[in-house]
Amino acid sequence: MAVLRSHILGIGTAVPDRVVTNDDLSRVMDTSDDWIQQRTGIRERRHVAADCGASDLGKIAAEEALRSAGLGVSDIDLIVFATLSPDIDWPASACLLASKLGARRVPAFDVKNQCSGFIYSLACADAAIRAGRARHALVVGGEIHSTGLDLTTRGREVAVIFGDGAGAVVLGPSPEPERGILSTHLHADGKYAEKLWLEAAASRRRPRIAPEDLDGPDPSAFPRMQGKFVFRHAVTRFPEVIREALAYNDLDLSQLDVLIPHQANLRINQMVAMGLELDESKVVNNIERYGNTTAASIPLALSEAIADGRVSAGKLVCLAAFGAGFTWASALVRW
Amino acid sequence: MPPDLRVLGLGHCLPPQIVSNEELAAALGEPAADIAARTGIAERHRAADGEGPSDLALRAARDALAAARTTVDELGLIVFATATPDVTFPGAACYLQEKLGAPTVGALDVRAQTAGFLCALDLASSFAAVPAPRGGRDARYARMLIAAGEVHAGGLDATPRGRDMTPRFGDGAAAAVVGQADSGPRLVAVRWTTEGELADRFWCEYPASYQTPVRITAADIAAGKHFPRGDLAALAPIARDRLGAAAREVLDAAGWRPSDVDLLVIDYVDPAVAGDAGEALGVARERTVVPTREFGHVMAGGIAIALARRLVALHAGARALLVAAGPGFTYGAAALEA
Repeated sequence: MAVLRSHILGIGTAVPDRVVTNDDLSRVMDTSDDWIQQRTGIRERRHVAADCGASDLGKIAAEEALRSAGLGVSDIDLIVFATLSPDIDWPASACLLASKLGARRVPAFDVKNQCSGFIYSLACADAAIRAGRARHALVVGGEIHSTGLDLTTRGREVAVIFGDGAGAVVLGPSPEPERGILSTHLHADGKYAEKLWLEAAASRRRPRIAPEDLDGPDPSAFPRMQGKFVFRHAVTRFPEVIREALAYNDLDLSQLDVLIPHQANLRINQMVAMGLELDESKVVNNIERYGNTTAASIPLALSEAIADGRVSAGKLVCLAAFGAGFTWASALVRW
Repeated sequence: MPPDLRVLGLGHCLPPQIVSNEELAAALGEPAADIAARTGIAERHRAADGEGPSDLALRAARDALAAARTTVDELGLIVFATATPDVTFPGAACYLQEKLGAPTVGALDVRAQTAGFLCALDLASSFAAVPAPRGGRDARYARMLIAAGEVHAGGLDATPRGRDMTPRFGDGAAAAVVGQADSGPRLVAVRWTTEGELADRFWCEYPASYQTPVRITAADIAAGKHFPRGDLAALAPIARDRLGAAAREVLDAAGWRPSDVDLLVIDYVDPAVAGDAGEALGVARERTVVPTREFGHVMAGGIAIALARRLVALHAGARALLVAAGPGFTYGAAALEA
């Protein structure tokens, strides 16, 4: 049966134990705690210590989300996994996660949408539930960035930013019609695809990956970014997509209780908050401890805001993201 | 609840370069006749160097838009099903959006391997059903573009080590304009599923983010870990069974008997397995199309390309059943009424 709205019924997170501080990085590359903190607000991030895939962290997060929703894996009839660093090339990490969870015969797919991947995935699961195609969906965002970063001075602009982690939510029918996900808003502009990207492996090249891609002055098997360009677009698109979500529901900024932005750069989020005249207490940031965990950042921040009471029943919560693609998105939730 | 989705236009692109078994024989160290006998595939298409799935899908999408009498400005969402995106990130959908000159609407890649087109159809039918805040359907999703395709060319092993896998894969893409409308082929039912415990039976492992400290090394490349691998002989009975099960489930959901099916498109990497499954289902052989037999295995794109090549020949009310199985292990089916 179709339902009026879906809602987040449970949430879980997982990060590797190994903490990598800015000082740790400055021992393997020419960087410093000051430089990183000034530009990004990041103090430390997590890196996996041994072989571990996005689906391994995703499993821990998903099981916690199921427990907090009071549901079992057999209640799940859709798995959406947001990641740009899948465990293997194919099949999707969602397949591996389904197996690790013991989910039998369930539609499971990956969404590759970078920093906005979690909100895109939430939008897919929300649509499936509202259309009656699923009742309870697991939406997971997970990344193992550390195995794909150039952890030398050559790669420092990008490598210091990213961290490993996962977060998961269980989406299901909202217990009350006025609560739940009010709407989602998805955008992309492929014009800027190569302002923040990872080229190799690249199916448009022959071969799609070669040893040369792993080395040289500008290796294409590591992510590349024009930081200032991305920053400029982020601080425009973030407020735009937040305002769009509010306007779509005839609400305004004064009614917004909490903003959960993607954690790409603390300076972006501070500038967005200032531009929207949102009090800093309404904006959830935890990038200082995890770095940019891409598809995992929003559930990681949301779970903290639920735990500390900032997000509670009746609050109006906006999730928003901007990143590679460029893609950007928002979801407005009446908690 | 029945999905409410129409296919308003469909296009496809098989790149002009065709690779015959004779051309592969020397590199793979196997006579052409043996390749044909073992794989059931006579030829496959290859994209040119520099072309990714978004380039092939662009040509398919232009045809689909023209057939649907839809402009890019009307599109509210772009979904691209592929396991072989142009670059690692962003996805092929972002590239397609830019190449089409589409507005800044949502663009996402979905990864469901050979069931990719089914996953995209399912997703589009869900978005089409989303209610608007003040009643009615969400007008943003009145028209959507779904694309499905692969470029395997740069990821295949052109040495005798690649003998088993390399001849099986082909490049191509299809695109469909879908949405709510009163006419056009209607999606009657779609179902698909995954059995993740079979994921490592047929896969392309590297680059593998789960490998520390780095997800791919020169040694991994030398060892060929970035090429598709699998035990297709062991998978054959499973694939045959799941193709049949998926088809029957959707026939039931649609309320059709096998004899009602005017066109069966049934796809798996091994065309013999797909053909057997179709026959076991009880659909007449002359009504059955096996995409892999025609142009190699294009994973996400296979069933959609094969359908696009035959759609104009279908009479009003004709019933098409699309069935696909592949890595994941992911499989499913869709019923369309023309």
